[in-house]
Amino acid sequence: MTHQAHAYHMVDPSPWPLTGAVAALLMTSGLAVWFHFHSTTLMALGTVLLLLTMYQWWRDIIREGTFQGHHTPPVQKGLRYGMILFITSEVFFFLGFFWAFYHASLAPTPELGGCWPPTGITTLDPFEVPLLNTAVLLASGVTVTWAHHSIMEGERKQAIHSLTLTILLGFYFTFLQGLEYYDAPFTIADGVYGSTFFVATGFHGLHVIIGSTFLAVCLLRQIRYHFTSEHHFGFEAAAWYWHFVDVVWLFLYISIYWWGS
Amino acid sequence: MAGRHLLRACTALRLVNQNVAVRPLQRTMGTLKGIPTDDEQATGLERRALQALKKGKDPYSMLRPMEYAGTKAEPHIVPGISTKRLVGCLCEEDNTAIVWFWLHEGDAQRCPSCGSHYKLVHSELPH
Repeated sequence: MTHQAHAYHMVDPSPWPLTGAVAALLMTSGLAVWFHFHSTTLMALGTVLLLLTMYQWWRDIIREGTFQGHHTPPVQKGLRYGMILFITSEVFFFLGFFWAFYHASLAPTPELGGCWPPTGITTLDPFEVPLLNTAVLLASGVTVTWAHHSIMEGERKQAIHSLTLTILLGFYFTFLQGLEYYDAPFTIADGVYGSTFFVATGFHGLHVIIGSTFLAVCLLRQIRYHFTSEHHFGFEAAAWYWHFVDVVWLFLYISIYWWGS
Repeated sequence: MAGRHLLRACTALRLVNQNVAVRPLQRTMGTLKGIPTDDEQATGLERRALQALKKGKDPYSMLRPMEYAGTKAEPHIVPGISTKRLVGCLCEEDNTAIVWFWLHEGDAQRCPSCGSHYKLVHSELPH
């Protein structure tokens, strides 16, 4: 049998990039159909296809790396570069919304009353639930670091406990933000204040949910003995993403909740 | 009828299990704290690459290649799995024109452009 003389992974042909592209097509055209013809069928079909694609693609990566041993040190290095570049692109995504916020708030227009917060907007008290949320996310950053050290030191029980705690803190944040959204005295339709507030915090909340899901998958894998004390890049990637989510919140809190109030 | 078969299978299984020694719920690894090491669990190409590195070998060329003087006394050592291998010589740093030539087993050959020496050394295909 011919074996390769290099350490890289020549991936087998896979249908998931195609199904992912089809899902993107169905979701976007489905969005247009929803707008014009009041039917959500196409969009829902696209979403289901997207979820199936993500599940099967990432399941295959776990099979290739953990079960088949294709993730040699050079391959792992490439995955690290990939995750860092992806998170960097997400940083730029949020940068745009911060730009919008500062554009609107540094020079408030006469329509807003020439002031920030705009006339008629009752802002949320930054020292109530938002401060609690800050503490929750910072604590989750501590617990995820605890989980990482537990894995590196071979401590299975501690790794599972600290990772579970991190996920619970993530859920608590999402729950508290949900309550805040429900009880907020302003909506997304309330001028540029509402727009910048809910789009920025809304996308952040979505990223918290994505990060929590990533960590939950890591918890499942840790319970099933996928990670070794030296090789656990899936977990490291989840932890990086979680720290990124935490940092974005800190910027949101300081800019929108505190300075902007 | 399917229910009767299922019941028979369950009772048979229970009888079999009673004769087997009870296994501890937590899998014991070499590391008693419960998380395996690469040495215990790495598999496939990753395992082969890591085990080779531990023995000081690099069959998958993961490390930076060794540097040689390229003189007659110290030629560039080129590992090869066959009787010949392509060599690309950058005669000077930052050269954009690569000098390509086949290096055959036997005596060291010289680059047709800069004259540095190359010697093909047979090595096994990693498997």
